[in-house]
Amino acid sequence: MGPARCSGVGSGNSGAYTTEIAESLRFEEEIHSIVHPSLDSSPAAGGSFTALLGLPANQAVELLHETGPSEAPGSAAAPSPTGELWRLRLGEHAAGPLHLPLGCSPTFPSNAALVERAARFSVFAAEDSPALSSGGGPSPRLKAEPLDSDSPPLLPIPTEKTQRPAKRKECEKSKAKGPAKKSKSAEENTAAAAKETAAENTDGEKLPYVHVRARRGQATDSHSLAERARREKINARMKLLQELVPGCSKITGTALVLDEIINHVQSLQRQVEFLSMRLAAVNPRIDFGGLDSFLSAECGPLATANGRGGVALDPALWSSHPVTANGARWLPQPQIRHVDVWPTQQSSTAWTRDGPAHPHALLNPGASLVGYDPASSVLLNSNQLKTEL
Amino acid sequence: MLSRTHFIYISACVAAFSPSCLLSFSVAAMQVTEAFKHAFLKQMLLGFQASAVSTNSMGIQERKNAIKLSADVAMAVFRGSRKWTRGLIAGLSEKQQNRSFLQLILGEQYERRLMKPCYSSWKIPRCRTIVRRSLRVCCRRQKKKKNQSGVLARTLVEKRTQQLKRLVPGGESMDGLSLLDETLDYVLSLRAQVDLMQSLLTTVESSKLRSHSKRTLTERKASYVGK
Repeated sequence: MGPARCSGVGSGNSGAYTTEIAESLRFEEEIHSIVHPSLDSSPAAGGSFTALLGLPANQAVELLHETGPSEAPGSAAAPSPTGELWRLRLGEHAAGPLHLPLGCSPTFPSNAALVERAARFSVFAAEDSPALSSGGGPSPRLKAEPLDSDSPPLLPIPTEKTQRPAKRKECEKSKAKGPAKKSKSAEENTAAAAKETAAENTDGEKLPYVHVRARRGQATDSHSLAERARREKINARMKLLQELVPGCSKITGTALVLDEIINHVQSLQRQVEFLSMRLAAVNPRIDFGGLDSFLSAECGPLATANGRGGVALDPALWSSHPVTANGARWLPQPQIRHVDVWPTQQSSTAWTRDGPAHPHALLNPGASLVGYDPASSVLLNSNQLKTEL
Repeated sequence: MLSRTHFIYISACVAAFSPSCLLSFSVAAMQVTEAFKHAFLKQMLLGFQASAVSTNSMGIQERKNAIKLSADVAMAVFRGSRKWTRGLIAGLSEKQQNRSFLQLILGEQYERRLMKPCYSSWKIPRCRTIVRRSLRVCCRRQKKKKNQSGVLARTLVEKRTQQLKRLVPGGESMDGLSLLDETLDYVLSLRAQVDLMQSLLTTVESSKLRSHSKRTLTERKASYVGK
């Protein structure tokens, strides 16, 4: 099986980096971002960090970062074959550091562990990249660290990490040349190793050809590799969306999940419409600049439209007020502002649906609301409105 | 839930408001952070103020539209520069009446964004020959291995994708991958918007109720005294 060359999805550079160096590059960057919070931590750094942790949740964090999503997060999510465990366990405290807006120094939970790991893996980086030499304290220390090829025992994080060191093992041998020998590849778990390489190297680092090991029994031409990378990315994002949309995690199949997503988006949009309608109804004269003026505005227009009767448009307003004979005096007044609603709005049909609940509501504007049951109608009303819209 | 004092604080800060604050989302918690919410709300209030100049004469429909407009613009401005935000603003600016409002809110950013390609009405230019050729290649490849169930699934997914493209603003000119990205973002923003508007509504209503109850009390007292 010859070496599969993937010219790095998105990276078009040629150089002499190996995959290991690429990863150590990222480690360096992360450490720099910790040590020098003033540096503009590129999304690549964060993206690769998430890649290392293999947490799709964090990938989305990077995805949504202000500086603009690069391909890194999406691709970083691709190599999460058995990431479920890690997502759950490390989700919380990995989400923590990446919460912060750029510019703040992220507080990595396992800083020491990271640095140690970086030390192990960045030996090659030190000797190679000039970009790395801009590092601070860590880099000389990293240089001094002995190269430990048997990295699995060092790694606290299993699954993905074991694959990477195994890959590094093979890259050690080749030293910036082609991929390792076939024997090595046979031993190691090649499940997602190749994909990780291909995927991770899409952050805007200067990387040359990425030497990808294809999976067992799969084609190795560049088209299908790119296809596979694309599909992996799409699957990762679908997974994220599944988590986001409630009730979607049990569904299998892209079409059904997309259905759910579409329904969710539509319902959210409808909710926005509904809420804006309610806001419009509640306070026609509200001056959002300040509540004081808002309160005074309430009392202001009442004198102008005293003659008209009105009906409570929004039962929520009156929910805590029992309608009594005394109360009826002030009830018509606040209702007045809603009067102009009736002739103009076309959504009055929505209100007609509530006919049975509000027998007096629409037909007799001047009628009293004595027979009005606020509590039940609130619920009924809002439900009906929701379905209407 | 916003307290009243919080509201007043926000209104005081509205003047010193700057639209270019940093945001941070957290998908792990599937919620937007508090900072984002505050900023969003500020922007929304500002938008309400700007559009509230003529609320006195507006009917409820126009009010609703104005509120929705400012809420959407707030959401778009706050999320920063994403494909869907650009598409949203582009879609909104197509209507003449919104333009002045948008200009007010966005300031110089608006002109800049207008200069960028308008995503919602911009189709990816494709040369016909190239498309035909690539289709031929695809067909030839498919002839070798025709997967019936796969085709069916693919058409279903295609349909859904088209629908999603119509839903997400600016979605027509996105490919499948970025579409999912933008949908994710958009859903989060929508959720934040809904939450904010909900809390705003409850705050306003509760304060109104309080004021009404106070007034009722005084009126009842007055009526008692009168009697």
